[in-house]
Amino acid sequence: MITGRTRRRLLETCQVIAILAFIAIMLVPILWIALAAFKEHVDVYQLKLVFEPTLENFSRVFAEPYDLGTKLFNSTIVAAVTVVIAIPIATAAAYAFSRFRLRGQTLLLVIILATQFVPAVVIVLPFFLMFRDLGLLDTLTGLVIVNLAIVMPFAVWMIKGFIDGIPIDTEEAALVDGSSRLQVIRNIVLPMAAPGLVTAGIFCFIIAWNEFLFALILTSKKAVTLPIGLALFKAEEGDLWNLMAAAGIIIMVPMFILALLIRRHFVQGMTMGAVR
Amino acid sequence: MRDRTLKYLLVAPAVLVVGATAVWPLYESLRLSMHAGRLSRPDFPQVFVGADQYTWAFFEQPAFWNSVWVTASFTLVTVALTTLLALCFALLLARGGRFRSGVQSLLILPFAMSPALIGVSFRFMFNPEFGLFDAFLGRLIPGAENINWLSDPTMAFWVVVIADVWGWIPFLTLVLIGGLASIPQETQEAAQVDGAPAWKVFRDVTLPQLLPVLAVVVILKAIFSLKTFDLVFMLTNGGPGNATQTLSHYVYFNGFKYAEFGYASAVAWLMVIPMMVLTYFYARFVFDRE
Amino acid sequence: MASVSLKGVTKAWGSVKGVDDQSLEIADREFLVLLGPSGCGKTTTMRMIAGLEEPTSGDILIGERRVNDDLPKDRDIAMVFQNYGLYPHMSVRDNIAYPLKVRGTPVADIGPRVDAAAKQVELTALLERKPKALSGGQRQRVALARAIVRTPKVFLMDEPLSNLDAKLRVSMRAELKNLSHRLQITTVYVTHDQIEAMTLADRVAVMSDGRIVQLGSPEQIYNDPETLFVASFIGSPAMNLVAGRIDDGVFSTTEGPLLTLPDTAPVREHGQVVLGVRPEDVSVVAPGEGDIDATVFAVENTGDSVLTTIRLGAETLVARSDRYLKTDIDERIGLRCSPDHLYLFDGPSGKRLR
Repeated sequence: MITGRTRRRLLETCQVIAILAFIAIMLVPILWIALAAFKEHVDVYQLKLVFEPTLENFSRVFAEPYDLGTKLFNSTIVAAVTVVIAIPIATAAAYAFSRFRLRGQTLLLVIILATQFVPAVVIVLPFFLMFRDLGLLDTLTGLVIVNLAIVMPFAVWMIKGFIDGIPIDTEEAALVDGSSRLQVIRNIVLPMAAPGLVTAGIFCFIIAWNEFLFALILTSKKAVTLPIGLALFKAEEGDLWNLMAAAGIIIMVPMFILALLIRRHFVQGMTMGAVR
Repeated sequence: MRDRTLKYLLVAPAVLVVGATAVWPLYESLRLSMHAGRLSRPDFPQVFVGADQYTWAFFEQPAFWNSVWVTASFTLVTVALTTLLALCFALLLARGGRFRSGVQSLLILPFAMSPALIGVSFRFMFNPEFGLFDAFLGRLIPGAENINWLSDPTMAFWVVVIADVWGWIPFLTLVLIGGLASIPQETQEAAQVDGAPAWKVFRDVTLPQLLPVLAVVVILKAIFSLKTFDLVFMLTNGGPGNATQTLSHYVYFNGFKYAEFGYASAVAWLMVIPMMVLTYFYARFVFDRE
Repeated sequence: MASVSLKGVTKAWGSVKGVDDQSLEIADREFLVLLGPSGCGKTTTMRMIAGLEEPTSGDILIGERRVNDDLPKDRDIAMVFQNYGLYPHMSVRDNIAYPLKVRGTPVADIGPRVDAAAKQVELTALLERKPKALSGGQRQRVALARAIVRTPKVFLMDEPLSNLDAKLRVSMRAELKNLSHRLQITTVYVTHDQIEAMTLADRVAVMSDGRIVQLGSPEQIYNDPETLFVASFIGSPAMNLVAGRIDDGVFSTTEGPLLTLPDTAPVREHGQVVLGVRPEDVSVVAPGEGDIDATVFAVENTGDSVLTTIRLGAETLVARSDRYLKTDIDERIGLRCSPDHLYLFDGPSGKRLR
């Protein structure tokens, strides 16, 4: 006779098996690509699990004609500069939205929210024309400008969420003691919100790093970023999967590390506060 | 400086950035859509054609409707599949314990892969000669070895669906786990004591309380599905033929392969409308919690 | 109607023992209160009876039947949770009806029984509302109604009054007392509030660190505490406790001799000892007429009594007198301790000396 207790044990075992299967499905593709990056060209075609690993793929992708090193540099600069510009601007606005009541606040916030959901294709066309006229095509500056468009809504909402979570008491005490509002922001809010700012910064870095469409259209030679570098392998397709995998790893691994750093605030950031 | 002035100054830079980089291009795009123009013409964009390009899309472009169909069916299928699977996994992982928490941490990893990267990876794995999935599924389902996944229109569609669902499940699972955690445990225990078996506890108590979060998940995923470009570009580039050409890809094709900027802008603007509707509902949820 | 038995029940997480090998017999229709501070194991014990936690070892019986392997839904119990656990998306009526509905009660019977339960807790006017439109006290009554709508074998209540404000708590206590008297169902009630325990219980099990330290009627717990812990936990204001030693029948602190023990005292010599006496057994008299002379440190008039506090070196002593007493701070007074109400506890172990 199956008692309640045995049934519960059985259920638990089934659940664990299901979870392991889920994890396998989620991770196997990633691992497979990672493996391919270390394979010789020949091994890729034979679905081998055991093989002689080689680092040759990595050295080849950094050389001509792929020149991943330049693209890596471009991606890093664009993402870093975007974050450095976006975070302070977003923080200022986020603080104001959180602590003050502004006229038209809800409308402004909705607009900022809505721009996140606009498809990139809609705004890339005017940008292309404008950049062409201003000579910003194929420049890192141009890329930074468009990435600002993308990350700003995330940054504002994420940071606002963090500031909302900071108790207002310390600020009010400081104001009573005689600090000016700007001093309060500098001395009290910024240190307390620092983890949130870092999280938002990392989040925006990841978004800018992985950005694809704008980079595809607005760059051609000099300012090409890593994800587009991936597309360049595509042209000689069928031949160079191991190289593509190596490039993929270079794109992925930094993002994994960053993602692990912010995993606790991840959900809050992506849904912009709709789910805590 | 008084707070009254300061607060507007604080907000101004962000509003300016958003205005210049998002709002203005939207307006400009609308303007473009009402002017004919090939990019190569020196007088581009010149001729005002009003709503002609919109009507042209609706009535004379089967490719447009193909994209609409592809996008709509893609969205419906991926939203349904991803939500369902994410819910199952969230239920599996919601209970505490080190094992489950560890697994939750791992869920972030697939998300750090951008859709473009996922596209490439899945193209690799579904390659009929040496793809991992091709081999795996070929062995599992008789007759499947002969399928050339990415050359067959129907199959290619499903591969794109699978890749998309695979990419989004981890994120949506995490969101739903957060949602499940916010449901008071007491309501579920009370139902257990009251006499409900596990499935009734879920149906009568857990699910109704999860509905707001589920709605957020569905809306979010719908918006992301409608926008899909990167994945399609890297996985199938719209093919075979235009079997997997989503609206975003269609716009890209017309704008940058055929250089029909005006037309592409028109189609792009047509995409904006369902987005706005979905954003309205999403905003409702965000502001309800404020 | 059923008895509840715990036999050698332990709940451990790794090396941490929430409940440590405890046995307890609860008679049919008895109202038993599990009393103790946070972390003492009282809620864990109750959750094991409910089936929401599994005991690491030991047996739990409801009505002579071993229920360790039964799910909560099969144990025929009802429970009131600390935060009420109401279903927020259902109306009050549907909340109360749920236990009946989910067990397949014929639809025709559900309505009348819900109405009857609602009437018993005076909720009839609020049946169509949702929980979020109710006050704390009203929600609590919904939780009660949901528990009594069936006639289970056992009622379990997990600190049901702790989220109510003070006045409401007092009136709900009386209602609970009356309700339980009418329903005559075995009840296990968890609380940290000793007044609730005193007023509601047939018997009280005082718990600390996973163990039942004393089991007895409220009078026994109050008048005959087994340990220092029990003595200090029950009673408000708390029992006065003074550390010292006994030599030749005289109790002295570090300040010197304090009190001569009566002949009925259990020991005449003891090294480390704690003397206990309740404030209501200490009366204020003129200096020299009592056992102790001291200066008044504080006077508190609570309306129904006056509490006078004095300082003895590092310790304080509180005397409770009727509300007409007039004393002032820094006044010199005498205190007389009723010799029949002195308690002696062994210092290191805390056990009562008899």
